[in-house]
Amino acid sequence: MTPRTLLIGLDGATWSVLDPLMAEGVMPFLKSFVCAGARAGLRTIVPALTPPAWTSLMTGRRPGQHGVFDFFRMESAENHHQRFFTSHDIGCPTIWSLAADAGMRVTALNFPSMFPAPRISGNIVPGWVPWRQLRLACWPENLFDRLKSVPGFNPRELAMDIKLEERATEGCENREEFAPWIELHIRREQNWLAILKHLMRADPSPLTAVLFDGVDKLQHLCWRFIRPEDDRPLETEWELKVRELCLEYFRKLDGILEELCAEAGPETTVVIASDHGFGPTSDVLFLNGWLAQKGYLKWADAARDQGQDSLLGVGKVARHTWLIDWSGTKAYAATPTSNGIYIVRSQNGHGHGVHAEEYDAFRAQLIGELREVKNPAGEPMVTEIWTREQAFQGPYSELAPDLTLVMRDGGLISILPSAEAVGKRPSLAGAHRPIGVFGARGPGIRAGADPGMLSILDIAPAVLYSLGLPVPAEMEGSVPEDIYESEYRARHPVRMLAAAERQQSNSSVAAPVQMSQEDEQIVLERLRELGYIE
Amino acid sequence: MGKTRDQIQEYVLSKLVEVSQDWGDPSEISPRSLLFSELGFESLDAVVLGVAIQEHFGCQMPFAELFAELGEQQRDLSIAELVDFVYQHVNRMAA
Repeated sequence: MTPRTLLIGLDGATWSVLDPLMAEGVMPFLKSFVCAGARAGLRTIVPALTPPAWTSLMTGRRPGQHGVFDFFRMESAENHHQRFFTSHDIGCPTIWSLAADAGMRVTALNFPSMFPAPRISGNIVPGWVPWRQLRLACWPENLFDRLKSVPGFNPRELAMDIKLEERATEGCENREEFAPWIELHIRREQNWLAILKHLMRADPSPLTAVLFDGVDKLQHLCWRFIRPEDDRPLETEWELKVRELCLEYFRKLDGILEELCAEAGPETTVVIASDHGFGPTSDVLFLNGWLAQKGYLKWADAARDQGQDSLLGVGKVARHTWLIDWSGTKAYAATPTSNGIYIVRSQNGHGHGVHAEEYDAFRAQLIGELREVKNPAGEPMVTEIWTREQAFQGPYSELAPDLTLVMRDGGLISILPSAEAVGKRPSLAGAHRPIGVFGARGPGIRAGADPGMLSILDIAPAVLYSLGLPVPAEMEGSVPEDIYESEYRARHPVRMLAAAERQQSNSSVAAPVQMSQEDEQIVLERLRELGYIE
Repeated sequence: MGKTRDQIQEYVLSKLVEVSQDWGDPSEISPRSLLFSELGFESLDAVVLGVAIQEHFGCQMPFAELFAELGEQQRDLSIAELVDFVYQHVNRMAA
């Protein structure tokens, strides 16, 4: 019997939220799930950000190896233009391509880093695609029309509406917007459930995966309602109503997990994982404002103009390119999402950048000064500073920020012009933290197994192992063998595959080809030789 | 092999007509249509369309620079202008 694996992503899930919800009876299924199987913390990569973290989960590699650092990516090391990330940026095999190369069908819904969809056998609905374009993004090309037959299918609520997404990080404009926004996320998760159940019945795949991203969105906007103990007691009727709606979201999510696990059956390995954890945030560092105060960044005249918030959508993607006077800039933050600082190198022809021989000293000076930035309470704002070499070793290193900051409260920087370097959020919000969640149950997995802490880099090896596939040696994580019964491990030893043995996977970019039966036989033989199939 | 401007316009319009059937309030789409203010595009819509265009014509195009220019000038983009942009880069690659 072909092993089956169901991977359930809970974007931004953290035990600090889920444990109380399990204890209070809001998530009884999740409680039974982790009791019957394994649970652990899941340490993410630097930066603790959705696109690079999920890509690390899919590849078992860090960003310097896979090439996704942010929602955006430098077009080249020679200019300042950033473009939105795509699946083409992933420079190494994924669990999807590896399973497909082994002849397995794959169903994957709502994961980032999957547009354009890999042309593999199965069904792919990429995440982070606006609803107006969802038809173009689905694979195979007839999938969107097939999904229209699923009761309740509503692309407008299923996929991304950027104005609604922004509320997660920029806040709702008024109190009346909270309830419909939370209810939308409940309906969205139920929409994904309906689609996945339909595909699991109509077109089952050995590897099935879905990402529920409402956890992240709710925690960003509603942290103070979900964990009032981090802020102040909830008092007003409206505050209590918002909390109850948040609990309802998690209650419904628990039911969704239960339905999916029932649909998958006891012989399927189910892995639950998040891309990062979460915690409260209240401080804001206006990083470009701080760099300007220090004389390392010069604003262009355009930065003094008002009305940047009313820019057409594309304007926000690239505003740093015209808000900054490059002739007087040595360092800048390009995006508000990665907490990264780029150092302008003078040899690139951008005015008065940093000369190569001054680079190390300039960067060290910058690090020292960043460590001195304090919030109004006198606490250091920046607790960790990663250099490019420390965080992003690998073939894509030169596209990564020169410095990546981890803030005291896990918050994100602002890149907008500001006279003040440090500010406070109007109210407590949620921000990413390094420790996410892992849970698993299925054949061979010990009840109550708790290895303590795993790495997000372990998930790809774990998924491949659960499917009976060898683990490419270049993956930086490893199979969490401790969660399995010793007898099971003895019968199913982990098989590693050296880089030289692995067939180069082109699945993520290649167009589908029709193979003759003879060709197919040759490929199957080749896969057997490589150890992908028995 | 290069493409004529008409071929490119036909492709872009056909893609927009194809996706607009899911919008519920299908706008009339013509070369004069403005992507953001008339067709309701957000930044990610433009990104997805740009990727689809690059995939179809098999060449990389500097969409990031185009978006930066639009943002700096705070102006919209007509389909005809988009077609001009694609035509220029498809044929530069083919030359």
